[in-house]
Amino acid sequence: MATHVLTPATTAYRSGLYEWLTTTDHKKIGMMYVINSFLFFLIGGTFALGVRAELAYPGLQVFQNEHVYNEFFSIHATVMIFLFIIPMLAGLGNYIVPIQIGAPDMAFPRINALSFWMLPLAGILLLSGFLSSGGAAAAGWTSYPPLSEVGPLKSPGSGEDLWILSIILIGTSSILGAINFLVTIFKMRAPGMTLFRMPIMVWTVLVTSVLVLMATPVITSALVMLFIDRNLGGTFFDPFHGGNAILYQNVFWFYSHPAVYVMVLPAMGIVSEVLPVFSRKPLFGYRAFIFATAGIGALGFSVWAHHMFTTGAVFLPFFSLMTFLIAVPTGVKMFNWCFTMFRGKLSFSTPMIFAIGFLTMFLIGGINGAFSASVPIDFALQDTYWVVAHLHYVLFGGSVFGMFAGLYYWFPKMTGRMLDEGLGKVHFVLMIVGFNLTFFPMHMLGIQGMPRRIADYASDAGWNDWNLAATIGGFLIASSILPFLWNVFVSLRNGKIAGDDPWQGNTLEWATSSPPPPYNFDRLPEIRSERPVFDARHGRVAHEA
Amino acid sequence: MSRPPRRGLAPEALVAGGVVVLLVALVVAVFLSGAGRSLYPPDAATVQAQDTRGLYDIVFALAVAIFIAVEGLIVWSILRYRRKPGDDELPPQTHGNNLVEVIWTLIPTAIVLYLFAISYQTLNAVNAVSDTPDVRVHAVAGQFQWKFEYLDGAGNVLATQTVPYYATTSADCKAASLTNAACGGMAVPVGQKVQVTLDSPDVIHAWYVPRFLFKRDVVPGQTNKFEFTVDPTDAGQVFRGQCAELCGTGHRTMLFTVLGLSPADYQAWLASLVEIAQRTPPPAPSGATTLQLTAQNIQFDKTSLEVAAGQPFVIDFKNMDPAGVQHDVDIRQSDGTTVVVDLQTTDGGKESQYQYQALPAGTYTFICSVHPSIMHGTLTVH
Repeated sequence: MATHVLTPATTAYRSGLYEWLTTTDHKKIGMMYVINSFLFFLIGGTFALGVRAELAYPGLQVFQNEHVYNEFFSIHATVMIFLFIIPMLAGLGNYIVPIQIGAPDMAFPRINALSFWMLPLAGILLLSGFLSSGGAAAAGWTSYPPLSEVGPLKSPGSGEDLWILSIILIGTSSILGAINFLVTIFKMRAPGMTLFRMPIMVWTVLVTSVLVLMATPVITSALVMLFIDRNLGGTFFDPFHGGNAILYQNVFWFYSHPAVYVMVLPAMGIVSEVLPVFSRKPLFGYRAFIFATAGIGALGFSVWAHHMFTTGAVFLPFFSLMTFLIAVPTGVKMFNWCFTMFRGKLSFSTPMIFAIGFLTMFLIGGINGAFSASVPIDFALQDTYWVVAHLHYVLFGGSVFGMFAGLYYWFPKMTGRMLDEGLGKVHFVLMIVGFNLTFFPMHMLGIQGMPRRIADYASDAGWNDWNLAATIGGFLIASSILPFLWNVFVSLRNGKIAGDDPWQGNTLEWATSSPPPPYNFDRLPEIRSERPVFDARHGRVAHEA
Repeated sequence: MSRPPRRGLAPEALVAGGVVVLLVALVVAVFLSGAGRSLYPPDAATVQAQDTRGLYDIVFALAVAIFIAVEGLIVWSILRYRRKPGDDELPPQTHGNNLVEVIWTLIPTAIVLYLFAISYQTLNAVNAVSDTPDVRVHAVAGQFQWKFEYLDGAGNVLATQTVPYYATTSADCKAASLTNAACGGMAVPVGQKVQVTLDSPDVIHAWYVPRFLFKRDVVPGQTNKFEFTVDPTDAGQVFRGQCAELCGTGHRTMLFTVLGLSPADYQAWLASLVEIAQRTPPPAPSGATTLQLTAQNIQFDKTSLEVAAGQPFVIDFKNMDPAGVQHDVDIRQSDGTTVVVDLQTTDGGKESQYQYQALPAGTYTFICSVHPSIMHGTLTVH
C-alpha cells in the first residue's frame, strides 16, 4: 500500500509575487498558464470583434487601411491558436495530470516554469509587431510564402519576423512541455496506476504530447527557412530562384494539422472526465476510447494535405481517403460519450452543460468536415467562409466549450470555492446562442461563394444578412464572457466552500484537499481501476454491479 | 453487461420522445420551406459543377441523417435520464460492450469508404483535361489584377484581356460587364470545352467562380490546368469570380467575371479583340511633350511629373518588372480615386507609349491601377 507523505522544504518567507514569479509548483504554473491564456483569449477575441464589425455591412467602415484588417485576422488566429487554446489546455493538463496520476509534481519542475515563461514573452513579441513601422504580420496565420517573403506588396515589415520568432518560441515551449508530460506520465505514476487505469484526460495529454514532440520541430524548420529567406537571402520558397512555394505548405501543415488534434484531444479528455461524473456511470468503452485517441493521433499525421487540395500539387485520392478514415475513431468517441449518458442519472451542473455543448457542437464540426474531405466538394468550399465555419465548430464548439467545462469542473479544486451555478448557466446560454448565430451562417456564406480574408464584399452578392447575423452573434459571444468574469471575481471571495470532492468525482484529484497541499497528497487511496475515488466511495461491490 | 428490469414507459420517455420528434420535424420543415436552401450550393453552371452538385446532395443527405440521429440520441438522454432530487442510487455501471463498439466502428467505416468511392469517381470527372479543348485561355493572376490570354491550338497568344482595377466593389464590374464583355476579362463559348492554364508572377492566388463550384490555386513556378464546359443554356449569363487565396492588401479587389456567349457570338467577340490587338497604335502627335517613366520593383522611378495645360502629351513607359507583373499609368483627380484617363496595362519587360488628351490646369495623380496603394505620384498641369 502506497502512502506518500511529502512535505515541502521549508523556505524563508517570500512575498506572494516573488513566490509566483519563481515557483516550480505545477499547480501554480498551471494556474499561470490558465490566466495567461485567458488574457490572450480576451485579446484575440477583441481582434475578432474588429473583423466582425468590419464585415457587418458592405463597404469599409472600421478599417480605412486594408493592411490593418489583414493584421487583425492574422493576429486573431495566431493568438487564439498558439497563445490561447494550445497553452490553455496545456495549463489545465499541467495542473491536473500530475494529481490524476498521484504524482507530487511534474518530472522537471524548472523546465515546466521555463516553458510557461516563454509564452508571455512570445505574446509580447507577436503583439509588438503593431508598434513596428510596417505593422504586425498580415499574411494570415498560415503565412504562406511568397506573400510572407520580403518585397513590395508582400511582407516588407519586421512584423512578419516577429511573428516567426514568436511561433518558434511557443513551439520550443510546447516541445519542453511535451517532454515533461511524457516523462511525468511514464515515470511518476503512483503505485497501482497502470497505463490502463489512467484517466482519459491523462491519455489525451499523453497522445497530444507525442503529437507535439513529433510535429513541432517540423513547423520550426519551415519557420527557420522562411526567416532565412526573409533576412539572409535564402530562396527556399522562391520559385523564381530554384525554391518551391508549395514546399512551405507541406511542411507547415505537417505540423498544423496534428496541431488541430493538439487543440481538440485534451478537450475530449476533459469531456470524458465530466460526462461520467455527472452521469454517475463509468465512461462507456474506456479501452475503445483510448484506442480511438491513439488512432486519431496516428492518422492525424497522414491527412495534412487536405488543406492543399486546390494547389494542384498533392496526390488527392490518398489524402481524401485518410481524411475520411479519421472520421471513424472520432465517431467511435462520439458514440461512447452518448452511451455514457444513456441510462445514466444525469445532473446538469455547469461543467456538464458545457460538456454537452461540446458534444452537440463538435458533432457539427465533424459532419461539416466530411464535406471538405470529398475533394470535388472541397474545390467549391476551400478558402471560403465554409472553412471558417468548420474550423470554429471544431476549435470553438469543440476546444473552447471543452475548456470551459474543465474550468467550471476544476475551479473548486483549484481555489477551494464553488462557482455560481446561475451565472454559469447565463454564460452557457449566451455563449451557445452567440456561437451558433456567428458561425452557422458562415456555412451559407461559404457555399454561396464568400471567400475568407476579404475586408469587403459587394452589396448585391447576397451576403449581407448572414454577415450581419454573424456580427451580432460575435458580440453576443463577447457579452457571454462578462458573467463568467463576474462569476470568478465574486466566487473567489464569497463562493460556497467546495470541500475535497464537490462533484462526487472518480479520479485522484478529488481525493485530496481543495486546493491540494504542496506535493498534492497527504495519502493516496488504493488504485484498482480507472476510478479510484469512486471505488473508495462505493466499494468494489458497486463497481462490479 | 447487465440490464435493468424492463419497466413501463416512463413519463420522461414520452416527454423526451416528443421533444426529439419535434426537433426532427423542425429540421425537416426548415429544409422543406426553402429556408435551408441557403445550405445548398448555388445553381451549377458547368457540366463539371453539376457532377459536384450531385455528389453534394448525397453527402448532405447523409450529413443530415447522422446529425439527426446523434443529436436525437443526446437530446433523448438529456430529457429521459435526469437524476431526480434525492436519488442517491447508482445507475447500472455499464463499462461498455465490445459488440456495439465493433458495430459502430464498422458502420461509419462503410459510410466513409462509400463517400470516398463516389468522391473519387466525381473527382476524375471534374479534374479531367482533354488534349484538344475547344478554347484555350491562359490566365495570369498578379497582385492585384487578372489577365486572360486567348491562345490558338499551338499555344500562341491571339489576344489579351486585362481586368481593370476597381477601387470599390464588384457591383461596378457587374453593371459594366452586362453591357461590356471586356470588363469581366473572360468570355467563353457555352457548351464547349474551355481549358484554362494558370500562372502567377508573384504570390499565390486562386481562380474561383462560385457558380462553377470550383477553384484552383494560381501558384508561382507551377502551371495549373483545368477544364470546364458551361451549360449550353447559359448563354448571356455573367458569372462572378474572385481571388480566393489571400494575396495581400488588394486581395478583395481581384475580381473578374466569366461571360457565357453562344459560339457564334464568342467568335465575333474574339475577332474584335484580335483586331484591336493587331491595330498599330497611331504615331504620337508631333510636338507633343514626351515624358519618361519607368517601373521597377513595383515602384515608379518618379514621384512627380509636370506638363503644360491644354496640350496633349505622351509618356514613354518602361515596365522593368518580370513578365506577368502588369503596370499602367492612369490619371486620376488628386483624390486618387476619380478616374480621368484609363489605359491598358503593360506587361513586365515591355514598353508602351501612352498618349493623353490635353488636361485643364490643376493637380492630378498619376497612378498604376494594378498597384494603387504603392505606385502613385503627383502630376502637375500648369
